[in-house]
Amino acid sequence: MNTETTTSPQTTMPPSRAPDPPPSNRRRRRTPGFHRGLYLFPLPALAIYVFLFAIPTLEAFRYSVTDWDGFSPDFQNVGLENFSQLATNDSLFQNALVNNLKFMLVVVVAQTALALVLAVLLVRNSRSSILLRALFFFPTILSSVAVAFVWKFMYDPNFGLINEALGAVGLEALQSAFLGDPSKAIFFVALTQVWFHAGQMMIIYIAGLQQVPVNLYESALVDGASRWQRFRYVTWPMIAPATAIVVAYTTVQSFKAFDLILGLGGNPPTASLDILSTRIYSTFTNSEFGYAAAESVLFMAIIGLVTWAQRRAVRLTQAEA
Amino acid sequence: MPQNPTLTRRHLLQFLGAAGASAALGGCAGPGSSTNSGPASAAQTTGPVTGELSFAHWRAEDKAVFDQLIRQFHKRYPDARVAQDISPSDDYQASALQQVKGGEVGDVFTAFRGAQFLDMAGAGLFADLAALPVIDRYRTDMIQPGEYEGTQLGLPYQLVFNMPVFNADLFDQHGVSEPPDDWDGFLSLCETLKSGGVTPMAFPGADLGNTTHLLNSMVMNNAPSTDMFTKIQSGDYACTDDWFLKTLEQYAQLRPYVQPNATGTDVEPAEQMFASKQAAMLPTGSFHIIALRSLGVKFPVGLLSPITVPATDAKYVGVHNATFVLGVNTASDNQGAATAFIEYLSDPEVAAQYANATVQHVTLDGVDYTNPDLQAIEHWLHEDTILTPIYQFTDLDISDAVSQACVDVIGGTSPQQAAEDAQQIVDERVQ
Repeated sequence: MNTETTTSPQTTMPPSRAPDPPPSNRRRRRTPGFHRGLYLFPLPALAIYVFLFAIPTLEAFRYSVTDWDGFSPDFQNVGLENFSQLATNDSLFQNALVNNLKFMLVVVVAQTALALVLAVLLVRNSRSSILLRALFFFPTILSSVAVAFVWKFMYDPNFGLINEALGAVGLEALQSAFLGDPSKAIFFVALTQVWFHAGQMMIIYIAGLQQVPVNLYESALVDGASRWQRFRYVTWPMIAPATAIVVAYTTVQSFKAFDLILGLGGNPPTASLDILSTRIYSTFTNSEFGYAAAESVLFMAIIGLVTWAQRRAVRLTQAEA
Repeated sequence: MPQNPTLTRRHLLQFLGAAGASAALGGCAGPGSSTNSGPASAAQTTGPVTGELSFAHWRAEDKAVFDQLIRQFHKRYPDARVAQDISPSDDYQASALQQVKGGEVGDVFTAFRGAQFLDMAGAGLFADLAALPVIDRYRTDMIQPGEYEGTQLGLPYQLVFNMPVFNADLFDQHGVSEPPDDWDGFLSLCETLKSGGVTPMAFPGADLGNTTHLLNSMVMNNAPSTDMFTKIQSGDYACTDDWFLKTLEQYAQLRPYVQPNATGTDVEPAEQMFASKQAAMLPTGSFHIIALRSLGVKFPVGLLSPITVPATDAKYVGVHNATFVLGVNTASDNQGAATAFIEYLSDPEVAAQYANATVQHVTLDGVDYTNPDLQAIEHWLHEDTILTPIYQFTDLDISDAVSQACVDVIGGTSPQQAAEDAQQIVDERVQ
């Protein structure tokens, strides 16, 4: 190896050179050869971010305190009335929130657990594991509308695969209206979501598992740790970053399962399938842009809050481990 | 390496700050600064029929026939071109107003009767068509839904019947020669069909939009006035009023006569049940006849509305809707050609081609219906039918809540509970 190529500039500096001046608050030393024109390179991305994200977000905040209908030239400022209505006197929004929380709970727990189990089983790079990984990952590359149509057929009470199969084996008592059963419909959609994305989360877990040093398992084995203890005290803490990503991503995904819900539940979805994103869409459709903007702001705050709480929970769990 | 002497980080940040502030100020200019709101201006009825026209609508199933009609239009006006901008009906309901408002899409556009038409008219999208001579070709009673504040802004084009479609062969096989003219007769018909091994009705309970069609028939004679749903929305009537509770109780009586797990059935499987003769009635409307034919249905079909009162008290025997409201966009820079296209569609011969190909009547007089299905139900054009009550709702959440109450009752909820649930949403929205 040529050591000269790895020598830092400081070590080759002539000793007679005067020490560098203390760093100024106003201007830092520039790397030799740095071209100021490079500052222009982030501009397109920044412009897209500012115009398509930052400004619309600020606009949403602005409209959230108005009664704008989406097309009239004039609107009134209504202060916090929209938020007060949402919090106290909007059973449709509250119903959507409850549905969304149920959906999120099922999806986060089931999808994370299933992804982890699959990852642990398929972490070795054998030929069969790679084939199965591809198989489990496959639903992820389908469009959500296609997934919705496939599962719509599965859940159809008259011609659907599930009821047909139950009938064929004499379990007619278990046949159901599925998406037409108000008390269970949201859980059936959650099941579809888990099927849809568990493979994607499995890949994140496999990447995490493959980073765990083998010598930790060897040490645990030497100490007489059982399979469960190796998982509990080695694997679980070591895949904390992967778990944090999976849980956070799944949570956000659960709140944004808009296209799957509309595909399965129609537009507008029935009350039992309405979640926050579809509720906001319905409000926009109802020409209540100001109110929908208030719902969106609240939606953003709820996602932020839930994600923060989950990250803390994951950290605490892994700190205990 | 030469360096750019003018651009520093500070300059860059200043530039970005200025750009951001400009954008924010631009955004703060307020909504509607580029809209076409205001009183409707008269559509240009003269001018060259040239250039590109966008025709925005939601009827993807009518694309082929419109293509054919557009080719004929092009022969008549060689310098004009028409492109169809089609969105699925749900999307069209949700976003057409915003799309058409800009003027890039929809020189000629359509609207659903009711909330969407009123919103679009209120937003000033429709040019005034009152001066168009072709208005005289339309049935006066049918184009009223295209009026806004006394001005004819739109021309409802399709005339459909939102009444259950029945399998005439199955009715014959079960000895039913005439549709029943009262509620007991209707329940008796359902019982006869059921005891014959046929599901009386394939109820599309999972598709809220398609469940509303039956509601029209169910309330048309129960309600004390023809603007019953307008009055629910205004707070004058309530879902817990006797007439609506009675309607829901009648829905409860229909439970044994719909397929198992009906609340989970979408409209396509319901159509399939009807097409395969598992069900004798499809409680949607005449607009589904063409879909049924495409499923291979060969048997004759008819229309009937459940009469929910004694025969002597029945005011209406069916339900109609005048929709697909044609309009000229006030933001269009080619209104002359747009008006010419509407005039062309208003030609009875052109309208006949459209009607016969799509199996839907039209609102024009003097149209020759040659399609056997249209001929079979043509007598409904002259019956006492009510204009679909459900589209009196301009608030979609209230409309959905009322429709949901009917589905919930079919699913087992008590009528009282379903009515109270719906009324809670009405109360919240009416405030």
